[in-house]
Amino acid sequence: MRSIHATATVIATMLAATGCADATDADSTGGYALLDEAASQLRADFNGAKGSVRVLFVVDPICPGCLRGLDDVNRDLLAQTDDPRLQTYVVHVPVLGAEAKDIAPAARLLENSRIHHYWNPSGEFGRQLTEAVDLKHGDEPVYAWDVWLIYGPEAAWDEALPPKPRRLMHQLRALTGSTVFPRLDSEAFAREVRQLLAQLPASPPEP
Amino acid sequence: MSEKSRVLGAAGGALGLGSLAAALGLCCTVPWAVALLGVSGAVAFARLAFLLPYALIGSFALLAAGFWWAYRRPIACAEGACIPADRRPLRWVVWIAAVLVGALSVVALTSPLPL
Repeated sequence: MRSIHATATVIATMLAATGCADATDADSTGGYALLDEAASQLRADFNGAKGSVRVLFVVDPICPGCLRGLDDVNRDLLAQTDDPRLQTYVVHVPVLGAEAKDIAPAARLLENSRIHHYWNPSGEFGRQLTEAVDLKHGDEPVYAWDVWLIYGPEAAWDEALPPKPRRLMHQLRALTGSTVFPRLDSEAFAREVRQLLAQLPASPPEP
Repeated sequence: MSEKSRVLGAAGGALGLGSLAAALGLCCTVPWAVALLGVSGAVAFARLAFLLPYALIGSFALLAAGFWWAYRRPIACAEGACIPADRRPLRWVVWIAAVLVGALSVVALTSPLPL
C-alpha cells in the first residue's frame, strides 16, 4: 500500500513538473492548457470573457525578444492592474524549439492573476492567426509569432479562425517598416488597453 | 605602442565587436540565450539588441584602423631612408580579421526564421 502511495506521489510530482497536472488551470504560475488544432480551449475562454478587454500574445517561451516583450508589457500594463475586465491569453508556440517545460519560467515574467497560458506544440495557431489577420510582408505570409493583439469587449470568435484584433503589434524583422502592423511599443499598447477599459462599465466588486 | 601591437589590437577588437554583433543578431532566433543565461539574463541580453549597429560600426572602424597601420609607410621611411620591417604577417592578420568580421556581420544581419 505504501509503495502504491509513493508511486502515485512520484507520478503526481512528475506531472506537476511538466505542467500537465495543471493543464486546465491556466494561470501566471506556469499552468497551461494544451491547445488543440482548432484552439477550442482558447476560443471558449475568449468567448466566455466577451464584454472584457482581451489581449493575446503569441510567443516562443525561449525567444529572448519575446521574453523582453512579455517583460515590457508586464511592466507597463499587467503588473499595474488587476482589473477583472482585462483578460490576458498567452499562446506559446515552439518556433525556436521550445518545450512545455519552458512555459513556467517565461510565465513568471507576468504578474497578474488573469493570465491564461496555452501550449500549442504543432504551431498551428500561428498559421491560423497569420490567415486571420492577413499578416504579410508584400505577398508573402509571415508566421504569426512574437505578436501582441488587443481585442475590444465586442470581439467574438464566431468563425473557425480567430477574430481580427483592434490592434496588432509585433517584433518581427520580416514586418519592419510595415504601416499596417506597428512594432511593439509596450507603453502605447498599455495606453490603448487602458482607454478601452475606461469605456467599459465599472466592474462589480468580486466576492 | 609598436605597430604590431596596434594592428593586433585593432584586429582583435574588430573580431570582438563583430562577435558581439553576431551574438546580438542571433539572440532572437537561436534558443541558446535562455539555456545559457536563464530567462532574466535572456531578457537583459535582448535589451542590448540596440547595440548591434554600433558594434558593427565599431568593428569596421577598428578594421579600417588595422589596415591603415598595416599598410601605411612609417614616417621615418617616408623618403626611402630606411628599409621597412616586413609587414606581411601583420597584413595577413588584418585580412583574416576582415574575412571573419565579414562573416560575423552576415550572421548578425541575416537571421532566418524557422517558420
